[in-house]
Amino acid sequence: MNKETFEIKAMDYLAGEMKQADREMFDKLLEENPEYKKAYEELEAFWSSMQSMDAPEPLNGMDDVFFNMLDKELAKSEKKVSKKVFDGWRGWFRPQLALGTFLLVLGLGLGYFLAPNEEIPSSKNTVAEKETEEVRQKLVLTLLEQPSANQRLQGVGEANKIENVDEIVIRALLKTLNSDANVNVRLAAVESLTNYVDNPLVRQGLIQAIPNQESPIMQITLANLMVALQEKASIEPFKQLLKKQELDTTVKRKIKNSIESII
Amino acid sequence: MHDLTDNALMLKVKKGDLDKLGLLYERHKKKLFGFFYNLGNNPSLSEDLVQNVFMRMLQYRSSFSGDGTFGAWMFRMARNVNYDHHKKASKNELSSSSSKIEIRDPMGDELNEGIEAEGNKALLKRAMAKLPEEKRQLLVLTKYKGLKFSELAEIMGCSEGAAKVRVHRALKELRSIFLELEIG
Repeated sequence: MNKETFEIKAMDYLAGEMKQADREMFDKLLEENPEYKKAYEELEAFWSSMQSMDAPEPLNGMDDVFFNMLDKELAKSEKKVSKKVFDGWRGWFRPQLALGTFLLVLGLGLGYFLAPNEEIPSSKNTVAEKETEEVRQKLVLTLLEQPSANQRLQGVGEANKIENVDEIVIRALLKTLNSDANVNVRLAAVESLTNYVDNPLVRQGLIQAIPNQESPIMQITLANLMVALQEKASIEPFKQLLKKQELDTTVKRKIKNSIESII
Repeated sequence: MHDLTDNALMLKVKKGDLDKLGLLYERHKKKLFGFFYNLGNNPSLSEDLVQNVFMRMLQYRSSFSGDGTFGAWMFRMARNVNYDHHKKASKNELSSSSSKIEIRDPMGDELNEGIEAEGNKALLKRAMAKLPEEKRQLLVLTKYKGLKFSELAEIMGCSEGAAKVRVHRALKELRSIFLELEIG
């Protein structure tokens, strides 16, 4: 075994990086070569004595310095990121922005001068809306004349969709309220008319409808409505209603209470 | 678990997750401090050099490829930091007084303590101080930092066999210096 090989094996043995089989062979080598054995034992003794060297613990101040440094680096890298983003925008802005702005202004100018003189869309819409309202009003009047209660209910529903009802529709609804054969249609008509209680024609019509009602549910609905409106003109029609002998006792009590509430 | 290996953490630092360097610092600060201290630097300077190593890690994080071990990369950097410091300090003629005070002074400690073991310890420090820089580093890394020869070879930039031979020769030289000091 040459010197270098011995040195390599000796270090492996000392550092504990040698396999068991190799260790046995190395032990045998030392036994057979007293010179190697002496050299190795001296080295091993000194290697063991080196164990006595140690190092003190670092001070806590070292941690503070390190983490301060790390915080600064983190802050720096964040700044760099935001600067990069800003630079990116700025770089993107320069030529493209100028060209983009120019093209936009040019386009707007051309659009303004070359546009045909047509009515602006908003007025178009207003006209279209007006036409729709007119069609709807006609539809209401037609539906309210139908023999089917369902269609007449549909007619009242259509009336609710009209924003500004005209007098003709109001009269049609009042007529339904006073004379429709179906109580559900009449109830729907009352509900629809409550949307226009500010209209004197509607108020008047509702008051006049009171004595004509025979259905208890209609009588109570109108009583509640008049109380809500605090309509004093309704007292007289209610008194007339009370004179009817066939009036339901519950309705009678309700109307009496309503009259007291209005007074 | 794989995400928490030294190499994985350093690769995260490389990608910009600088926070992870804190974890690596906690794991290796004592090893590095011991490395610098055992090379003969005083505790205060050893702390400064530890900081310098981590600053370099940040500065040169892009050079970490993850192919070798993090430990080898770190100690290679630590060797450079130590070399640069002493080169700079020797220029300013401050090196010997500031960095090797712990090594040249222990005779005072030795006399006061009067204990054989402590005497040997001080003598060993003096012997280490007389050893050439590279040999001292070889012994500190193998003996005190428990690095494997394969890692040592990576740090020193040589083959594993060559690393073993170099350590063996450094150990023999240290022993000779120690015996001379003991006699003298």
